[in-house]
Amino acid sequence: MDKFDVIIVGAGLAGLSAAYVLAKEGIEVVIIERGDYPGAKNVTGGRLYVNPVRQYLPDIWDDAPLERHVTNEMVTMMSPDNSVSMRFRSDKFDQKPYHSYTVLRATFDRWLAAQAEKAGAMLVTKNRVDDVIKEQGKVIGVVTAGEELGADVVVACDGVLSFVAEKAGMIVPGQPRNFAVGLKEVIELPRTTLEDRFGLTGDEGVAQMFMGSLTQGRFGGGFLYTNKASVSLGMVVGIRDLIERKPGVEVHLLLDEFKERPEIVPLIKGGEPVEYSAHVIPEGGLAGLTPLFGDGILVAGDAAGFSLNMGITVRGMEFAIASGVMAARAIIEARAKNDFSASTLSCYQQFLENSFVMKDFRTFQHTPHVLDNSRFYGYYPQFAGKLLEDLYTVDSGPKAKISDTIRKNLSLGESLRMGKDLLGGLKI
Amino acid sequence: MNIYVCVKQTVDLQQVRIRKETREPVLDGVPLTIGNIDKNALEEGVRLRDKLGGKVIGVSAGSEELNDTIKEALAMGADEAIMIIAPELEGAESSTVAMALAKAIEKTGEIGIILLGEGSSDNYSGQVGPRIAEILDLPQITYVSSLEAEGNTVKAVRNLEDCFETVEAEMPVVVSVVSEINEPRIPAVTQILKAGRKPKQIYSPAELGVEIAGSQIKTISNLAPEQDRKRLLFQEGVGQDVKSLVAALESEGLLGR
Repeated sequence: MDKFDVIIVGAGLAGLSAAYVLAKEGIEVVIIERGDYPGAKNVTGGRLYVNPVRQYLPDIWDDAPLERHVTNEMVTMMSPDNSVSMRFRSDKFDQKPYHSYTVLRATFDRWLAAQAEKAGAMLVTKNRVDDVIKEQGKVIGVVTAGEELGADVVVACDGVLSFVAEKAGMIVPGQPRNFAVGLKEVIELPRTTLEDRFGLTGDEGVAQMFMGSLTQGRFGGGFLYTNKASVSLGMVVGIRDLIERKPGVEVHLLLDEFKERPEIVPLIKGGEPVEYSAHVIPEGGLAGLTPLFGDGILVAGDAAGFSLNMGITVRGMEFAIASGVMAARAIIEARAKNDFSASTLSCYQQFLENSFVMKDFRTFQHTPHVLDNSRFYGYYPQFAGKLLEDLYTVDSGPKAKISDTIRKNLSLGESLRMGKDLLGGLKI
Repeated sequence: MNIYVCVKQTVDLQQVRIRKETREPVLDGVPLTIGNIDKNALEEGVRLRDKLGGKVIGVSAGSEELNDTIKEALAMGADEAIMIIAPELEGAESSTVAMALAKAIEKTGEIGIILLGEGSSDNYSGQVGPRIAEILDLPQITYVSSLEAEGNTVKAVRNLEDCFETVEAEMPVVVSVVSEINEPRIPAVTQILKAGRKPKQIYSPAELGVEIAGSQIKTISNLAPEQDRKRLLFQEGVGQDVKSLVAALESEGLLGR
């Protein structure tokens, strides 16, 4: 059995970040990826916040092939027949270093992999890891395409529902409520058309969130990000709601209906869909995290559950990068002691605890519970839409006082429930 | 004895999409790979080496990215690689590429067999093999579907579509193969990992005395075939629609042939 210092399973952001840091240290690291190239199978909604991770991969951001820096934040509440939007633009977001970019993973991951390879990492694509090799409870390698490869440490970066962590006996299959499914289309538009449609100058970009009737009352929402010459449009829906809520619906039909909304049609008109992807997303927050380390093994990125619904954003890529880097640092420490047992590798958890990763997970630990409230996806968007519709409608008769219009739309019982949701919302 | 296998770096055809509006292939950012039939040539080279001994040397001309792409050939079993790297060699026409490959092969030692695919995955001109034979003044056997070597002699079956021709030649010889000659192996992970450490020799065209002249061939158009769809929509209810569909297919001469 050929043996290497470190085997990383999965060339996503966690795996590539770990490989990059390890290779820079001169450590012999192999990345095994099942896609045709890194990024071929990786899915994101589409935006990366650079500030939290700038220090973890300090030298890469100037050259990274990112799309547009986000200067415009939009939120849209959708009802079946109306919508309420808010658009926020800030000069601050247009100042370098930009804090957030839209990103296409097929481009970015391939580039990051090239950086890791330049640093000395060995990348094997088109190969799936089928099993982990254990000896006396300790992970000592993996099996891929019938071959055994040994390593001091295996890092499971194989994404949500991590097969490697499961084979290593670290996790049990998950609960539907801890997962959502995301669907996305990348729709190509000529650059100038896109900039005119979205009111963008130069490389500025827009990020738009949608909630309400598009998920038909289910946990989730829609998103739209502008790339350089394309739009990433998609939605995320909670898997438990998809299973349990009646009448059932096929999730891709929800996306099709969303695309037919008059709010969306003119934005993508004439565009050519060039990519369609779907992926499971961990949404369990702190409670959904898997064990992070074992004898000879670390788990990073989505594989560990490092994706967090923070109310107005769902973030995963920053946690993936940071956890990958910290896994690498833990391995460097373990090598210094020449001890790859769980107790030495546990410093990975400590590194994470001291970083924004676990701090964010603790801060937002109640978010999944608070957001698990169908009123956010049905009642509130409809209330806002109906209220504005009434306020803006001028009928043939006399116009009601504004306060009366509000009162008509909001009964005492609803105000109380709203107060309760608001109190719950204070937890996040 | 050296078995040279010439491979070409091309875009991975499976990853190429056609822009609907213009029917142009989108080639920007498409991953690179070595040509499909080149892999058959490599496989044949490796098989012959295992029988006859010697070395399999992958030879290729192209851009800087070749450094990566050539690893595929090394992972499939080539022992070393010779690359002629210059930006203007990427997509250069057959005469230039043949000259660069021939000069590089000539420079590096004893030639046994020079293997190629019958044509490249992208342009499929099928010229590079015969041109190399001409430049190096070697016998050539094209469209080979079966190849045996014994001592200093090769015996090859040429697939000429309407017949098979069996020929013999003395080494050194240039052989171009067709895809049915073998089933190229999928490299094992350990082979892929070892590929990065195998010897690679890089030449510039100038070092080989190869001049890259201006292109004599102009590509006038490179478009996907037009897909003229009928856009018939039947929505009268299943019973009627099936009849209408069948009638439409019959009127196109697609049924009852």
